Amino acid sequence: MLRVLSTEWLKIRRKWIWFLVVLGPLGAVGLQVVNYGLRYDYLMALYADDLWHGLTRNVNIMMLPAMFIGLAILASLTAGIEHQTNAWKQTLALPVSRSSVFVAKFVLTALLLFVSSTLIIIFTIIFGWLLGLEMSPPMTTLLQAAYYPYLAIMPFVALHTGLSTIIANQAVPMTIGIVNMMLATFSLWMPYWMPWIWPHLDNRYDEPLYSVLAGIVTGGLVLLTSLVVFVRKDVR
Amino acid sequence: MNSPWMVETKQLTKILGGRTVVDRVDMRIQKGEIYGFLGPNGAGKTTTIRMLLGLARPTSGQIHMLGKDIRTERIAVLRKVGSLVESPSYYGHLSGYENLETVRRLLDAPKSRIDEVLAIVRLTKDARRPVKGYSLGMKQRLGIATALLGAPELLILDEPTNGLDPAGILEVRELIKSLPRTHGVTILISSHLLSEMDQMATRVGIIAAGRMMFEDSIGRLRKQAKGSIRLRVSEPEQAARLLLSLGCQAEVASDELTLERLPDERIAVLIARLVQADHQIYRVEESNATLESIFLQMTGTGGSL
Repeated sequence: MLRVLSTEWLKIRRKWIWFLVVLGPLGAVGLQVVNYGLRYDYLMALYADDLWHGLTRNVNIMMLPAMFIGLAILASLTAGIEHQTNAWKQTLALPVSRSSVFVAKFVLTALLLFVSSTLIIIFTIIFGWLLGLEMSPPMTTLLQAAYYPYLAIMPFVALHTGLSTIIANQAVPMTIGIVNMMLATFSLWMPYWMPWIWPHLDNRYDEPLYSVLAGIVTGGLVLLTSLVVFVRKDVR
Repeated sequence: MNSPWMVETKQLTKILGGRTVVDRVDMRIQKGEIYGFLGPNGAGKTTTIRMLLGLARPTSGQIHMLGKDIRTERIAVLRKVGSLVESPSYYGHLSGYENLETVRRLLDAPKSRIDEVLAIVRLTKDARRPVKGYSLGMKQRLGIATALLGAPELLILDEPTNGLDPAGILEVRELIKSLPRTHGVTILISSHLLSEMDQMATRVGIIAAGRMMFEDSIGRLRKQAKGSIRLRVSEPEQAARLLLSLGCQAEVASDELTLERLPDERIAVLIARLVQADHQIYRVEESNATLESIFLQMTGTGGSL
């Protein structure tokens, strides 16, 4: 498994993937730079009792759509490397199990998204300091705001790993990714059982961990289903 | 199971979308052979090869490679098999060396092996360039290098000379021919060109419309080639009737008669009788059926070409 992952790591060299991994969080925080730049006085007054919390909430508004589209792009790029010259037939004729190839693609996408989530925290802190907020940010809040949605969004990471590897035409997963992003934007009107709302960590019990748990469990199920389809499929 | 065959398929069948693409194929390849797998485009060569490599599942039938069942011991088998299926697969943004490195990590081969295979296919000089800048021949050679990386006992090459220019074809052919000698590799190589196999293969299997039509040495295939004798005469119709009365069936085509191959004395007699009957004989030719024509006969594509 680690061997497969190390080749995946090698394959994404010079593919601009790392650029996107940085661009996403930079964009999400960058828009808050604009937001705070335009309405500094209003926002500072609004969140006066907890400035860090206010900033984190604002960053989150941009972060979620970016994550939805970002994971679709990452899954598509990492799978696209194989589709381009149909390298599947070479990779899968090597002495590795098909499931390890598939799981490696999932882990790669998940890891790249994890890096983006971590960068969100770093960029938020830097921006907070630039705004002149307290020097010691509330780390628990910041970590939860980044990593809880990351875990709750796992069903979509698994779904896109499946779609992008199984379907050669990457327009299909990308379209679905865009639709997901839009659905997620309006998901606060959705019933709680729908996965688009989970990354917002909003649930009936007011306990973010339930959303996280639902994401991890569903993510596992989606991953398993996609894995079975991928393993059984004939390679063109 | 201890089978003497490197590859053995039994009643191998693949049905795709209701169409039988591979139909009860029995294939046997011995150690050290260059086995030419021949057939027109769409005959089922690539599908058969995909099944050998575990890329596609057989609808029914069995595959044993290196004495092992591919269904239960796929990974152990593939460790000793190198493959190049159809168009070369590569990662264009990586260099030739990096492409080999991605495969080397999965094979767990020593790093020095990369330089060895690069030298075999003579790509050492270009190893540091991105592969997207390679010519098709170079990409194909990189594909062969990839196939050789794990020091395989069995090499499966699907149409390795497809799309290459004559110089590239020659180069790949020489490379393939030298492998069993220098590395003790058994090779399965598919092609739709018989002439190519004629110069490389020790044994051939001919597949058409999913069925194995012939599997034996090239020499045996040649023996099947029956020669014929062609006559050009002044009045072919009448001459044919006369020959028929002498017990010899002749086919008439424009001003030519075609007879099956006959012993010398019999020919002499027939010609003497034609001359006695005042036929003017312009030409008597013997034509040897070429391997190509047997191939076309067997694969039934003669009419469609």
